[in-house]
Amino acid sequence: MEDNILDQSAPMRVLVTGGTGLVGRAIQHVVREERGIREGEEWIFLSSTDANLMDAGETREVFQKHQPTHVIHLAAMVGGLFKNMRANLDFWRNNIYINDNVLQAAHEVDAVRVVSCLSTCIFPDKTTYPIDETMIHNGPPHKSNFGYSYAKRMLDVYNRAYHDQERGRFYTAVIPTNVFGPHDNFNIKDGHVLPGLIHKAYIAQKEGSPLVVWGSGTPRRQFIYSLDLARLFLWVLTEYQEVEPIILSVGEEEEVSIKEAAEAVVEVMRFKGQVTYDTTKADGQFKKTASNAKLRQYCPSFTFTPFKQGTFIHSTGNLRKTFWENSGECGLVFTVCLVLPSIALKETCDWFVANYDSARK
Amino acid sequence: MLPIDIISCKMVLQLFLICTFNFSGLLLLPMNTEPDYSASPKSTPMRVLVTGGTGLVGRAIQHVVREERGIREGEEWIFLSSTDANLMDAGETREVFQKHQPTHVIHLAAMVGGLFKNMRANLDFWRNNIYINDNVLQAAHEVDAVQVVSCLSTCIFPDKTTYPIDETMIHNGPPHKSNFGYSYAKRMLNVYNSAYHDQERGRFYTAVIPTNVFGPHDNFNIKDGHVLPGLIHKAYIAQKEGSPLVVWGSGTPRRQFIYSLDLARLFLWVLTEYKEVEPIILSVGEEEEVSIKEAAEAVVEVMRFKGQVTYDTAKADGQFKKTASNAKLRQYCPNFTFTPFKQALKETCDWFVANYDSARK
Repeated sequence: MEDNILDQSAPMRVLVTGGTGLVGRAIQHVVREERGIREGEEWIFLSSTDANLMDAGETREVFQKHQPTHVIHLAAMVGGLFKNMRANLDFWRNNIYINDNVLQAAHEVDAVRVVSCLSTCIFPDKTTYPIDETMIHNGPPHKSNFGYSYAKRMLDVYNRAYHDQERGRFYTAVIPTNVFGPHDNFNIKDGHVLPGLIHKAYIAQKEGSPLVVWGSGTPRRQFIYSLDLARLFLWVLTEYQEVEPIILSVGEEEEVSIKEAAEAVVEVMRFKGQVTYDTTKADGQFKKTASNAKLRQYCPSFTFTPFKQGTFIHSTGNLRKTFWENSGECGLVFTVCLVLPSIALKETCDWFVANYDSARK
Repeated sequence: MLPIDIISCKMVLQLFLICTFNFSGLLLLPMNTEPDYSASPKSTPMRVLVTGGTGLVGRAIQHVVREERGIREGEEWIFLSSTDANLMDAGETREVFQKHQPTHVIHLAAMVGGLFKNMRANLDFWRNNIYINDNVLQAAHEVDAVQVVSCLSTCIFPDKTTYPIDETMIHNGPPHKSNFGYSYAKRMLNVYNSAYHDQERGRFYTAVIPTNVFGPHDNFNIKDGHVLPGLIHKAYIAQKEGSPLVVWGSGTPRRQFIYSLDLARLFLWVLTEYKEVEPIILSVGEEEEVSIKEAAEAVVEVMRFKGQVTYDTAKADGQFKKTASNAKLRQYCPNFTFTPFKQALKETCDWFVANYDSARK
């Protein structure tokens, strides 16, 4: 795969907004510990303390300061189901401000690439399955988080508009399914389902109380480990040449119910108490099954870290290439092999327990 | 003193009909009841702020308010233009709203244009209109305006769709690519309305969806304006110069045209009587849809153009049709009578010829 947009001999200056969040930290880890930083390259990981991206002036200032050639745009106002339901207007407005400021600032410093981050929760509520990249705008999103959803959908509109009006702009976006991993927001009220379950199990274990799962446990989700997402993000940053977004996810067959996810958390955390389901609490969308066919076309051999334990999802075979040596294919296959066989949920739980005091919660 | 209770559209119509409004001076049907425009059971006079108050629709509302409805005691009607405030700037918008403290807002201000202008600048249409809409709605909310009626357009509906389109279909697919920037920005007004209603209890901000509007005070610029004023202006010039009237495109696309004065009358009804957050299409019926060719022929007839009419098929046609259902309007206002197309066209052409020097072109 030839990159005919980027001058690969020129070192990148990569700015990562939301650089200290769940995905940002994962990218930091992969860049430093796996890929390495090339000579002349610069990787800047912004946090909200560096600039308030809801403010156009501050955003422009930080972009002018760093003059990035590439941008990974992760910063957003995010939250789990219940936080979204309370504040759809804020989720809509704040995220539109952030996205508008970041994209325009990137354009003004002539960044050649911006990769933004969408989510499968933004797809139409009434839809056929599996959902794919062409379906983003084919109907209203689920009403629980329509503010966030529309703001994220509009990133795709921005990308098309920059491409349409500003010739040569190939800003694009990825669409992960439910992300989890170290450095997540483990706040029970405002966080997402998996870190919420982990935190609840931790507390329930300490207090000898039941683990109460909100909702019926029947909704289904595909979970992607933050480190896998980070590896794929880096591939998209330099190799993926479309304005159309790309779904980054495990396959449809890896979809699990919230109940199965809760049981996996119980097992990994060695929780011995009772597990109950509070069915008075909202379930959110029943499913958001996404197709990763496009990813598989580009990266047929990419292996995801197993969710729980046991078998790898795909056979690792005998190839020994790494991503950084292979530009003809998404050669991220065996980065995982170079690390100990990892169990994504276990790593996340271990991290949480070890970093309980400092973890966001 | 007018009875303060909910009026029906029938009475509104009758009030309009009693007025001898008509450029050609015709007296229309007699009426026998007087409607009540009060916003609520309380007797607080309205302070109505109209953004885009000097544009095509704004001028029509000015006319209808002053010449037909009349301004009640204690009421205030403020028609803003771009010289009063740059609504793309949050500070200026807030300032003008704080100054006037409106109880009601008719939000017409937007960056608008015909097919060819949109095709050149989708990014600008998207961003500028999002800024305007965000600033106006938030400023209105902050001064506790009880009603904001924004203005969408049938051109924002999904390109791939069944016909006739109706109010429930706005988000059911991507809009036509020629003006996707404008379309998404307008669609997001509906998201704003839903979000204000969702998060800020009691907010019933809403929107109307007119089809192609035309009338006096339009933008008659041939390059940037809409099709009907463009045809009128071209016919005027062609007549003067003895050259052909060149219609851009094949002439086959179909449109429903609504006279600006009819739209204004309906806007005033919506402002005080329409109580839904969901938008409402304001249009003549589907059977009134005409082709661009038929519209051109009507212009030729009204302008008494004697020269040749040709069709430049190298130019883009835009969307083939956008046939909208006015069933919801008809449920609310079964007896509202639209000004006949040729009559409305004549009034518009007469106005243009009489005001050629000062007309926007």
